[in-house]
Amino acid sequence: MIERIRKALGPIWPEFFHQDIKLLDPYMTFTDYRKIWTLGISVLIATALVPLLVVTIIHYRLLDKSVDSELRLRTERLASNAKRAITFFLEERLDALRFTVNEISYDRLTDPDHLEEILRNLKLGFGGLTDLSVIDRTGKQLAYAGPYNLEGRDYSNQRWFIECQQHNFYVSEIFRGYRHVPHIIIAAKSLREDGSFFFIRATLDTERLIRALQSYETGAHAHIFLVNRSGVIQTPAKQHGDIFQKMSLPVPVFSERTRVSIAKDDKGKTLIVGYAYIFTQIADTPFILMVIKHKAGMMQVWHQLRSNINWFVGSGAFVILAVIIITCTLLVNKLFHADKAKAEAMALMEQSNQLASIGQLAAGVAHEINNPLALINETAGYVKDLFVLKERYGHDDELIGYIDDILDAVERCGMITSQLLGFARKFEVKIQEVNLKEAISDVLVFHNKEASYRNIKVCVDVPEDMPPIKTDRAKLQQVLVNLVNNAFQALDDGCRLDIEASPAGNNKIRIAVSDNGCGIPEENLPKIFEPFFTTKKGSRGTGLGLAITYGLVKKLHGEITLKSKLDEGTTFTITLPTQIQEGSIENEGATGR
Amino acid sequence: MKPYNLLIVDDEKRFADMLAKRLTLRGCQCEVCYNGQQALDLVEQKDFFLILLDLHLPDIYGTDVLMRIKKMDSKTPVIIVTAHGTEKDRKKCIQQGAHAFVHKPLGIDELMEILARIEEMRS
Repeated sequence: MIERIRKALGPIWPEFFHQDIKLLDPYMTFTDYRKIWTLGISVLIATALVPLLVVTIIHYRLLDKSVDSELRLRTERLASNAKRAITFFLEERLDALRFTVNEISYDRLTDPDHLEEILRNLKLGFGGLTDLSVIDRTGKQLAYAGPYNLEGRDYSNQRWFIECQQHNFYVSEIFRGYRHVPHIIIAAKSLREDGSFFFIRATLDTERLIRALQSYETGAHAHIFLVNRSGVIQTPAKQHGDIFQKMSLPVPVFSERTRVSIAKDDKGKTLIVGYAYIFTQIADTPFILMVIKHKAGMMQVWHQLRSNINWFVGSGAFVILAVIIITCTLLVNKLFHADKAKAEAMALMEQSNQLASIGQLAAGVAHEINNPLALINETAGYVKDLFVLKERYGHDDELIGYIDDILDAVERCGMITSQLLGFARKFEVKIQEVNLKEAISDVLVFHNKEASYRNIKVCVDVPEDMPPIKTDRAKLQQVLVNLVNNAFQALDDGCRLDIEASPAGNNKIRIAVSDNGCGIPEENLPKIFEPFFTTKKGSRGTGLGLAITYGLVKKLHGEITLKSKLDEGTTFTITLPTQIQEGSIENEGATGR
Repeated sequence: MKPYNLLIVDDEKRFADMLAKRLTLRGCQCEVCYNGQQALDLVEQKDFFLILLDLHLPDIYGTDVLMRIKKMDSKTPVIIVTAHGTEKDRKKCIQQGAHAFVHKPLGIDELMEILARIEEMRS
């Protein structure tokens, strides 16, 4: 599953999340790539996304504020306009009454026929009047013109009558009264020449007033209606309450000017409430004009725009985030790979340097031993000479035998030192004719003891007619040493190791190193030549042996392949050219003395 | 066998003396010296059949001694006998005209064979 995701993601798979080769840690420049990655992403988000979000939020706040104040302003303007219309409506009719009582004599006014005529004229001139009546100072109706038969009624106890006595003019609330039809009463007090006074009273048609109000309503989210000063609804108010019921909102605070305030309705929705106390120049009125707008409704366009902006900013932020994460992962991956490659090179170099140092040490030891060895050789040789060449010491065969033992031991020591020197020379590039049989048996010298101790049978099969090859003997031997070492580690005591060489045609030879040891699990086969890959637990393996071998075979212009079956054994096959040119292999830099 | 006139140059005194004794036993006339300058002086004074030269001498390095000997007398064969021979030294010595390059410990028979071959070449 993970492998599938890894393949799908390709180069953006964060490989640095798991650096599991502990051997490389000392050589890595950075150790915590996850931290670098997180830091990089955080910094980029801070510099790219945060300003975008801050600007968006500021923009929202500013827009919110300006839309809010625009809404308030518009509400206020609407309330002012409606207030002017209502005020004008009432003032006009109060003026008409005033004109009538001033212009027309008391006698004519109290004459029902005249009054009827006056009503007709007023209806023609102003409209909205239903009836007209004249009431004397005691509250008794003197004359009436209109559709209802209300003549002779006594109004002395009614509120309008009392208030009109005090203030000369009166505008009533909307009420049903005797007629059971909503109406407004306006009344004016008039002084007669004899010092007494009477009242003229008109009933106003509320339909006309309601129509005037409704003409200011714009859209479904604005409602305009009148309430009295106790908050009782006077004209249809839709969801804010029924007529003659108390409205759901509190009565607004008195103000001479048009005002706007914010309130909540019973469902908790925000309302913009514009209101104006209505009073004419002639008389005060009980009305408060209410303009109520649902903020959410009014903001609908802005909310639509805002959700569009949100969507845009959101998807933009997502794209930026994705780009940041992909870029960061790519960069950190590159950095990680470069660092890892460097660490691997350094680890390999150190390994190689270590080998070179061992080589130098071995060469030093060999050299130092060679001098005393030469002295032993010459001295023993001289003693032997004395016995053999001079008559006076006689021929003592036993002594000569001992001296020969010394000389044999010296020869063996000499071979060991020369092999040690040969090891040191592995680091020098030298193309020479190599007899494969000799090269293989030289390598096996180092393993003879272990093989006999562990009862491992080592079989070498090189055809007698195998021609010598021209290659770097030291590198070839190192390859063989590594493969034989590897095989020895895989072998149980009593198993066997076969080394076979044969011509492979096309100027190539083939060397196969096979063991019948534990074999390699199939899943490990592709990784076997990777540096630092090891199945040996603990400090036994560095995972470099086969990687170095692979590199050496490549340097010798050859190929190395392997076949392995678990519990049956492993065969490494090297194919090498029979001849490589001098100078076509570079030196590794580490040389013996 | 003719009495070969040999020069052995080696700072390992006991080795040089012992080798001289063994060669004397085999009918050679050996002169021994322990540093480069003495060797050069001797080569100036006398002709030798063969010179055995060590590389690590206390005063002058063997390859330099070889070069100077070859300047004075290019015909006398010089065999380098060393305990410290590297491939680089070997190449350099052969380039400068050394007859052979052998490592210590060396077999006396091997040396006698070389002498015989030189004798053959001369005759």
